Amino acid sequence: MLAHYLDLSVRSFKRTPMTTLLMIIAIALGIGVTMTSLSVYHMMSMDPMPHKSSKLFHPQLNTRDQGVNWWTQDDLPHQLTYIDAKNLYQADIPALKTPSVKTGYSVHLNDDQIKPFMETVRLIDNDFFTMFDMRFIYGGPWSDESDNSGELVTVISAELNDILFGGENSVGKQVFFDKVAFRIVGVFDDFDYHVKFYDLTNGAFNQNEQVFIPFSLIEPLEVNNWGNTNGWKYEDIRSFQDKLNSELVWLQFWVQLDSPEEVTSYKNFLTNYLTEQATLGRFERQDVHFDLKNVMQWLDYNNVVTEDNRVVVGLSFLFLAVCVANIVGLLLGKFLKRVPEVGVRRALGASKRQVFMQHLVEVSLLGLIGGTLGIAIAQLGLWGVRSTYSYYDALATMDLSMFLAAPLIAILACIIAGLYPAWLVCNTNPAYCLKTQ
Amino acid sequence: MLTMQNVSKVYTTEKVQTHALRDFNLEVNEGEFIAVTGPSGSGKTTFLNIAGMLETYSSGQYLLDGIDIGRLSDNQRADLRNQKIGFIFQGFNLIPDLNIFENVEVPLRYRGIKSAERKARVMECLEQVGLGSRLKHLPQQLSGGQQQRVAIARALAGRPRFLLADEPTGNLDSLMARQVMELLEKINQEGATIIMVTHDPELARRAPRNIQVVDGQIADFSLYQKQLAGTEPAVAEV
Ligand SMILES: Nc1ncnc2c1ncn2[C@@H]1O[C@H](COP(=O)(O)OP(=O)(O)OP(=O)(O)O)[C@@H](O)[C@H]1O
Ligand SMILES: [Mg+2]
Repeated sequence: MLAHYLDLSVRSFKRTPMTTLLMIIAIALGIGVTMTSLSVYHMMSMDPMPHKSSKLFHPQLNTRDQGVNWWTQDDLPHQLTYIDAKNLYQADIPALKTPSVKTGYSVHLNDDQIKPFMETVRLIDNDFFTMFDMRFIYGGPWSDESDNSGELVTVISAELNDILFGGENSVGKQVFFDKVAFRIVGVFDDFDYHVKFYDLTNGAFNQNEQVFIPFSLIEPLEVNNWGNTNGWKYEDIRSFQDKLNSELVWLQFWVQLDSPEEVTSYKNFLTNYLTEQATLGRFERQDVHFDLKNVMQWLDYNNVVTEDNRVVVGLSFLFLAVCVANIVGLLLGKFLKRVPEVGVRRALGASKRQVFMQHLVEVSLLGLIGGTLGIAIAQLGLWGVRSTYSYYDALATMDLSMFLAAPLIAILACIIAGLYPAWLVCNTNPAYCLKTQ
Repeated sequence: MLTMQNVSKVYTTEKVQTHALRDFNLEVNEGEFIAVTGPSGSGKTTFLNIAGMLETYSSGQYLLDGIDIGRLSDNQRADLRNQKIGFIFQGFNLIPDLNIFENVEVPLRYRGIKSAERKARVMECLEQVGLGSRLKHLPQQLSGGQQQRVAIARALAGRPRFLLADEPTGNLDSLMARQVMELLEKINQEGATIIMVTHDPELARRAPRNIQVVDGQIADFSLYQKQLAGTEPAVAEV
């Protein structure tokens, strides 16, 4: 019967091509707009590392005097002081962990082939590569030895490797960051995380860094922070060393804790650590205040998906609703013209349910066609978003789930539009054809 | 096979109540061919609609093959209608988008009959009405008489034991009307029970049994026969 209903639907489309076209355009536009905003929203809110996001934690420590408030909802700073980052880094805890901070250098090869250009550079422990599942096309992470000794080694991106070395294996070669020569030990494959979740400070969707160097270089190189720095009290900071010893917060820190037991013991460690710091007289607090947030909690806490994004999705669904309302009108006109035919079908033994189904199949087919066209419109919309805001490059795309969702939403929308007209027409009095001759 | 006892139908519109049928009593036996006549507005179509379960009645009892129709749901009535009853309308009521073959196929589809058997039955019925060679034609490509024959084929396709026809020849000229009548007689001889509403006294006379509906009731039969014989004026003319 489904095949028959589909056949009848196609005939019906052919009989009223203009109305059908209008309805398809309406649903396609609605779906196009909805899927554009929904795709961006979906990418924004998507878990960047589903298999691991619940195991990677960002600690937050309250190392301020009692009564000093922060602007965050839980009164905790987003970042760590250098003292704390270093202490957590050096603590004897058997877990992958890495401090991290963003800086930037002028990159060149110390020849006249390539004009120096500015690149952001991130300082990390080599655990970072494991924790964030980075893949290498040449070489690999630097060694623990390099981490400890502060060797001048670097891992660069495939993209940068293309620019500097034409994509060839550059492991062992030299690259200059400002005036300092670094030895390349690895080239990593392009990041496919759409959100820069390991450091949300300066825009969650900015491009990731192309260059990584060991964290232990922070002191010898007197690394400038290219991210945010926040303080809560007056400190007379005149030298780099002053900054390292200050209560300014400017570093990120990640630790991988694979089991609830590890989380518990890490929390115990943080409790002890903060108690110890208070005892040392660094700050005056009665309580121990810290938090450990995993990736999704971290994204949520940092409002990566803003209220605006949600409003845009809401508005686009409103637009879809307007399209659906138009389709209801068109369907009413179309279906009611069919009352005589339905009367005959009813008299010949069609049940209400059969008539209802016939019309729902017709609107579903309409939804399928409109939804497919809507995908094309959404692609256009996403292309528009990408070419207007490069910030959205990684976000304004449709993944498989969105491709599947588009026709489903379209069919659902059309069924909603068709329910009332189909119900009206299926309630046609079967005596109609005898009464009106 | 059909028994109506004190069946009444009241149409209530905003302003008036119309008693389309009042205490209607009728007994129809298997294999009968009945012509129903009567003045316009007397309730003939209403009677056919109720007999064919296209409409519900206000009071009384209607049994079809012993089944109390008043107790059935809308879906059950649709089912029973599909199985037992074939309709022939004055306006033919073929579906304009479907070709001849597909039109005849419609009731079989709703019965869930498999494609091969549908095809066999449709061919059989179309041949029976002499249109076996015009399967792909659309209704508007046929004459009125041909269209009515398609409609009859459609009514026959479900092999109904009960054919209801409301002025099947009303839109046809007398030659075509006679052909349709002959077809109905043939179908009746093959076993189907037929109730036919007609305004044509000549056709009515050809039916073995005549009933006349006046003012929602069956008129006195003897009076009616006298009218047919021309010895009494027809009620409609009173
Ligand atoms: N749906 C309805 N609503 C209100 N009144 C109706 C309805 N259908 C029929 N009637 C009324 O019921 C009465 C009987 O109508 P019916 O159609 O049965 O007459 P008929 O004998 O078939 O007439 P005709 O020979 O003109 O076809 C008429 O007075 C008609 O106006
Ligand atoms: Mg009538």
